[in-house]
Amino acid sequence: MASSQDDLYREAAAAYGGALDRLARAYEAGTDKRRDLMQEIHFALWRSFETFDARCSMRTWIYRVAHNVAASHVARQRRYSPVPLASLEEVQAVADPNPSQLGADREHALNRLLALVHRLKPLDRQVILSYLEGLDATAIGEITGISPGNAATKIHRIKAVLARQFHQGGHHAE
Amino acid sequence: MPNELPPDDPRSVWQCQRVEHTVMSLDEIRKKARSYQGKIRFRNSLEYAAVVFITLFFSHTIWTVHHLVMQVGAGLCIAGGWYMAWQLHRRGPARAVPADLAAATCLGFHRSELVRQRDLLRDTWSWYLGPLIPGLAVLTLGAGLANPGHPRRAWLFVGGYSALVAAAFLIVWRYNLRCAGRLQTQIDELDSMEKQS
Repeated sequence: MASSQDDLYREAAAAYGGALDRLARAYEAGTDKRRDLMQEIHFALWRSFETFDARCSMRTWIYRVAHNVAASHVARQRRYSPVPLASLEEVQAVADPNPSQLGADREHALNRLLALVHRLKPLDRQVILSYLEGLDATAIGEITGISPGNAATKIHRIKAVLARQFHQGGHHAE
Repeated sequence: MPNELPPDDPRSVWQCQRVEHTVMSLDEIRKKARSYQGKIRFRNSLEYAAVVFITLFFSHTIWTVHHLVMQVGAGLCIAGGWYMAWQLHRRGPARAVPADLAAATCLGFHRSELVRQRDLLRDTWSWYLGPLIPGLAVLTLGAGLANPGHPRRAWLFVGGYSALVAAAFLIVWRYNLRCAGRLQTQIDELDSMEKQS
């Protein structure tokens, strides 16, 4: 059992290590705390493989564990924060006076993207991150627990928010 | 996937960012597991230490005061402290991360965490403030009865002390209730999202 657990972890870390690093960056801005969060995610992932039963895909399993650990981390960090997190709808309602040019300065665009993600409530954050990782509405529904239809509505909102925040040189996020 | 996207697509910007690609070795994982177990043991030790402190403090009171009502009050304080520590251990905020994290969807996991925290805050009287009241009340009453020579001063102390403790309890209760209300709003938001699903 232990070797299977270890093998599953190795496989997951090799295939999704980069995605998990990006996920941790989206939940924690501080470098040291992010390193701790990464370790926590990897440890939780390894522990979770003790009970992996392939009832859902490996990808869904990994993202669920990672998002659940990261959301708990945010809840702990924000326990005494006076600034509330916003929903996608609230972010959508606020106009952005200074949209960025995505192609021009990617580092700046990435920082703006991260700032947007850091403002969101846990579930909306999970949806936007899954969208940015290239997952479709069905996969997002499996991970988060919302219906594919609801996920599709949220993706539509995300596209509108991103289009408003970033000029895309003639392209639109599809 | 990033290669299929136009370079100015936010998903391309996101997926092409530089990352460390963290991989923990199995030795590091096992070290982390040991440190995790250590943290749980430390948390448990703190709870045991608090119970031992309460027990020693009020046992000392029982031993030294020689007044039956105060002794009964101190005994009730010990019982209340034990009950509170047990409840804290059972539903404590520093609960261990469950091993079956992936069994629940993010929505389900998030909701269950919010419900757990809400109940902890909403039920303050039953597990946190309530168990301390009988002991403190009897102890304070005993302090009044134990000074028959200066009844006015003694009952003034009892009244003032009781009012102070009652005010502190009320503030804690109201604050926790407000926090529980905020959590309930978040739970309602998740429920309405589930209904839409």
